Amino acid sequence: MEAGEEPLLLAELKPGRPHQFDWKSSCETWSVAFSPDGSWFAWSQGHCIVKLIPWPLEEQFIPKGFEAKSRSSKNDTKGRGSPKEKTLDCGQIVWGLAFSPWPSPPSRKLWARHHPQVPDISCLILATGLNDGQIKIWEVQTGLLLLNLSGHQDVVRDLSFTPSGSLILVSASRDKTLRIWDLNKHGKQIQVLSGHLQWVYCCSISPDCSMLCSAAGEKSVFLWSMRSYTLIRKLEGHQSSVVSCDFSPDSALLVTASYDTNVIMWDPYTGERLRSLHHTQLEPAMDDSDVHVSSLRSVCFSPEGLYLATVADDRLLRIWALELKAPVAFAPMTNGLCCTFFPHGGVIATGTRDGHVQFWTAPRVLSSLKHLCRKALRSFLTTYQVLALPIPKKMKEFLTYRTF
Amino acid sequence: MERRKTYDGCEGPDAMYVKLMSSDAHEFVVKREPALASGTIKVMVSGPGQFAENEPIRSIVERPLHILHMYFTYKVCYTKNSTKLPIAPEIALELVMAVNFLDC
Repeated sequence: MEAGEEPLLLAELKPGRPHQFDWKSSCETWSVAFSPDGSWFAWSQGHCIVKLIPWPLEEQFIPKGFEAKSRSSKNDTKGRGSPKEKTLDCGQIVWGLAFSPWPSPPSRKLWARHHPQVPDISCLILATGLNDGQIKIWEVQTGLLLLNLSGHQDVVRDLSFTPSGSLILVSASRDKTLRIWDLNKHGKQIQVLSGHLQWVYCCSISPDCSMLCSAAGEKSVFLWSMRSYTLIRKLEGHQSSVVSCDFSPDSALLVTASYDTNVIMWDPYTGERLRSLHHTQLEPAMDDSDVHVSSLRSVCFSPEGLYLATVADDRLLRIWALELKAPVAFAPMTNGLCCTFFPHGGVIATGTRDGHVQFWTAPRVLSSLKHLCRKALRSFLTTYQVLALPIPKKMKEFLTYRTF
Repeated sequence: MERRKTYDGCEGPDAMYVKLMSSDAHEFVVKREPALASGTIKVMVSGPGQFAENEPIRSIVERPLHILHMYFTYKVCYTKNSTKLPIAPEIALELVMAVNFLDC
């Protein structure tokens, strides 16, 4: 689709009947995620279940698994050995999900050498953040539970792996802390990050692995160094709880979304606010509705770094082009909670309160060569390094995203 | 780069090719239409006679021009696709300056 066309609904997945009729577990899809290589999709479909689906989606029934330990779905046709759908029963409400990147070869060899008796984590893994503070680590191909990480005292709301494949995991919790776990050392907790005053809603690691962003109920956004695990700066500006954050693919921009109906775009190196994206209702309400009705739930960058998708309580999925002040496209969605782009572009996945996920077409625009160069440069240059280059002022403004 | 085959020329308004000459005397003969992705080149070859048909682009050195050629081809072949164009960090700065001039 061109930019400016409305997102079209490609598919909707609904959870099957839960194994046991259990009123205590809620049915929301709090998180959706694609694996970084685009081969798997995971959604927490409520009732304590996480579904793992190979991507792209197949039209026919998913073959039944024939290994005794795998937990495949109940649909049946003859097995063919192709990747199978997996159902992970986590035993309690699942709030956060994160896929690892494939581990880089050095850590894979290190792992195998030090832990010959433990399953080799040279495979794709999924981390799930649970209601009581536990984190369960699963092997995606087989659906096996690998590790159980304990430490958090309350809901683990969000998780993030370092994009480098070093198997370092960050978790964000309602116990007001973030924790750093090393999965090369059997899930050892290597650091606790304290400082937030209320529930931590989200965490995100920059693609260059240098910075960690966390956002919490007390309206502030914290930036931490991933090298020293210390606080770099606090970003103030939101008027209400900040619930979602994401870095641009070149680590040069950070976006945060809040219940105050705004998404703010920041320069993470200087802490400057670059712009605010206001979410206003398309039609004013007939009655005196609560001003929070356009509360944001989720924001994410597109893979080429030119678009944002946002989910808000006013029943809309919005697509924003970075340089413009108003959304370029809308799609109706009720009770949306989360969104994420497919890593190779073209598709957005969203999750809702009733446990459904939807897949939408996303704008696919060929980046200008100028933007591709900017992305290449900003992947290794900080804002200050750009400002120190011997280039014209206008080029500096372009490279630091002050102009587009 | 082909040397001996015969192509339609680079001369005249209907030429199928344009010749881009860099400041260090490398010549790139590229198909005209993909090269029009650059706003500057478009103006140069179809403007009202202000530039000669094969005016060399003197300010640009050879290495980035090679990537430019790749970009023109990339744009034609991979419109709407998400195939990545690799840009080596060491030429990215030179390239962005060249691209800024060429407006593409």
